[in-house]
Amino acid sequence: MLKEEFRMHTSYSSRWMFLTFPILVLLFSFGIAYTSEQIFQNTSLHDMMLMMHISVFIYGLSVGAFGFLGNQYQERSAGYRNYLVTQPSTLPMSFKSTFFGMYLRDGVFYVLLLLVPMAGGLFLSIPLTGFRALSILSLFITALLTFFLGMSLSFFVSTIYIRSRVAFGAACAAVAGVFAVGTVAKLVPLDVLLPGLGMQYRLSPFAFSSGVEALGFGGAAILLIILLTAGAVLLVEDRFESRHVETDDELITQDRRFSGFKRYGTLLAKEVVDLRRSGLITRMAFTYVIPLLFLAFTAWFIRNGLALPVGFNTVFYGGMVGFFGVTFYGWLNNIDHTDYLSTLPLTVPQMIKTKLLAYTLLTSWMSVIFLVAIALVNNDLRLMWLAIPVMIIVSTYIVVMTAYLTGLRTNSFFFDPGVLVRFTVLSMFPDLGLTILAFTIDRYFAYALAGIALVVGALGISTYFFYRGLDKKWGMTDFGA
Amino acid sequence: MGRIVPAIHVENVGKRFGDFTALDGISLDIDAGEFFGFFGPNGAGKTTLLKILTGQLRPTSGSASVLGIDVTKEPLKVKAATGIVPEVESPPSYLTAYEYLYFVSRVRKVDGGEKRIAKWMEFFDLDDSRGTICKDLSKGNRQKLMIAGALIHEPRMLFLDEPFINLDPIFQRKLKVYLKEYSDGGGTVFMCSHLLEIAEKLCDNVAVINKGHIIARGSLAEVRGKHPDLEHAFLDIVEGDA
Repeated sequence: MLKEEFRMHTSYSSRWMFLTFPILVLLFSFGIAYTSEQIFQNTSLHDMMLMMHISVFIYGLSVGAFGFLGNQYQERSAGYRNYLVTQPSTLPMSFKSTFFGMYLRDGVFYVLLLLVPMAGGLFLSIPLTGFRALSILSLFITALLTFFLGMSLSFFVSTIYIRSRVAFGAACAAVAGVFAVGTVAKLVPLDVLLPGLGMQYRLSPFAFSSGVEALGFGGAAILLIILLTAGAVLLVEDRFESRHVETDDELITQDRRFSGFKRYGTLLAKEVVDLRRSGLITRMAFTYVIPLLFLAFTAWFIRNGLALPVGFNTVFYGGMVGFFGVTFYGWLNNIDHTDYLSTLPLTVPQMIKTKLLAYTLLTSWMSVIFLVAIALVNNDLRLMWLAIPVMIIVSTYIVVMTAYLTGLRTNSFFFDPGVLVRFTVLSMFPDLGLTILAFTIDRYFAYALAGIALVVGALGISTYFFYRGLDKKWGMTDFGA
Repeated sequence: MGRIVPAIHVENVGKRFGDFTALDGISLDIDAGEFFGFFGPNGAGKTTLLKILTGQLRPTSGSASVLGIDVTKEPLKVKAATGIVPEVESPPSYLTAYEYLYFVSRVRKVDGGEKRIAKWMEFFDLDDSRGTICKDLSKGNRQKLMIAGALIHEPRMLFLDEPFINLDPIFQRKLKVYLKEYSDGGGTVFMCSHLLEIAEKLCDNVAVINKGHIIARGSLAEVRGKHPDLEHAFLDIVEGDA
């Protein structure tokens, strides 16, 4: 399975480019370590660890939903590609073992690709920073525990989905409830909910005399991981027949609905039908809404939990919402195979533009609702007139730019360091610029407004050129390639 | 008198995938109205050439044209003018059988699409599966759907990659009769197949490819030579090339 995953990713770029990815992470980690002295002037090590563990936990959650993934591979016909997870139909293997195999595979994959080079970068910085090797090792171990806890929880909850949608909803509500009690109501400390973090806080440099307590937290984390993983594996059923779907002709109705989109109408109608029937629309909405909620929570936590005087306003949220469009576009490219399209008079750029249209139609209303809701909650409606156009332009820019860089293979191209670096530069600079300008609105309104107009204008022009460039960049690409 | 332009013209076409040479200097001319059979062992390069001729892949070297259209410069025109049945029966997972044909007819801008869909649904006995989404169809029905999708715009040329695989004997026969009539009516067919018995009944001319080279080419009688049937001739030709 590891070989399968490796070959799939390298088929989109090259073996060399793919293996450059961990080197990039290592250099990034080294850079952070090298500049850590400046960072520690504004943020304490305690808070840094907290944010890192939350990020690693969320990352684990986002990559561990094997209940969804395995089910999706089994249900859809995969065109020219097929995966080992579907093999129990013909080989003496059980679905439990293949799903567990997927969990182990991705665990090893992400640890080698991200956590090991991250720790490697910190180790390399020792001669310059004076970090202690033991502290880095403890950071690696605790981060590993938190990452696997996120993955296991996601694996467990997503396999509940295979058995019962109602039970899945209840499990999501329960998990959200536990974390809400822990963070908002502060009834359960966060380091108890994330025992990896608890272990971190009980090791050097935070504490020196509680080795047993640290081991206790470590043991609790391992036990939780084992219990959640075992529960997930037990919930997987050996189902050799996929869900049989009989349905009415919906494509024709949708085609009429989108007839105003001319040559894209039928393609757009097909996207909508695909989304509804694959059941991905709910999961995609989750992947869009959850980061938005995470953003709202982080802002709340920085303002109220850490009591830092940061001026989050509606314009800041408008800019940030736009940047979350990437995950949604990635999902749109992952609904079904595209091999059959190569026999029709269609081009890859035409399909990319269809996905961009689908993205705009499906997410713009969600983003506006979120923006209005967060403005109402924060009693900050005064800047809505500016926040909405900022959100629309940033959102369009980020998705068109992503489409230009990754075409119809978004998730895989992000493992190509060349693409990742370009994406990071093209998204991070405008993101930083808009964030700083949004924070200064209340102090220097005219300057901030002029700055925002300048950034948004530049993004608008860049969007135009990226969109125009789609034909040239992807025009000669084959479907399925 | 001007020279008759072949329906398919292939000149010195090569294709490499990294270090692997899939096609090495292939040259072919196929006339309009010809039923051409393209045979070879697994991995010999049949599907690669078919994909190049239908604009799905670009050749590494050489040139090719279909119905006078350069396949590298204008792949969309080639796809619009021809019907293609791919190697793998892979219609979109979440459309129903009817919806897939509707989708194809809309993309191909077919006039009177509804009537044509009804015709091919009936021809392939797909009416009972009208509301079943493609991922739940049997392999045979998925194959029928891909063939129907390739025929719906009534093209002048067909590219077929293993069209008979997965079809039951009734529909193999039905398709055979249809293709024979199509070819007799002036349509050109380029077919890759391992089912030599069927191919022998349909093809006017054939070629055998092995390891990226054409190793035999001519009319059915010429290639069969002294052998009792095409299968024996094929085995002899390929083994002789090993």
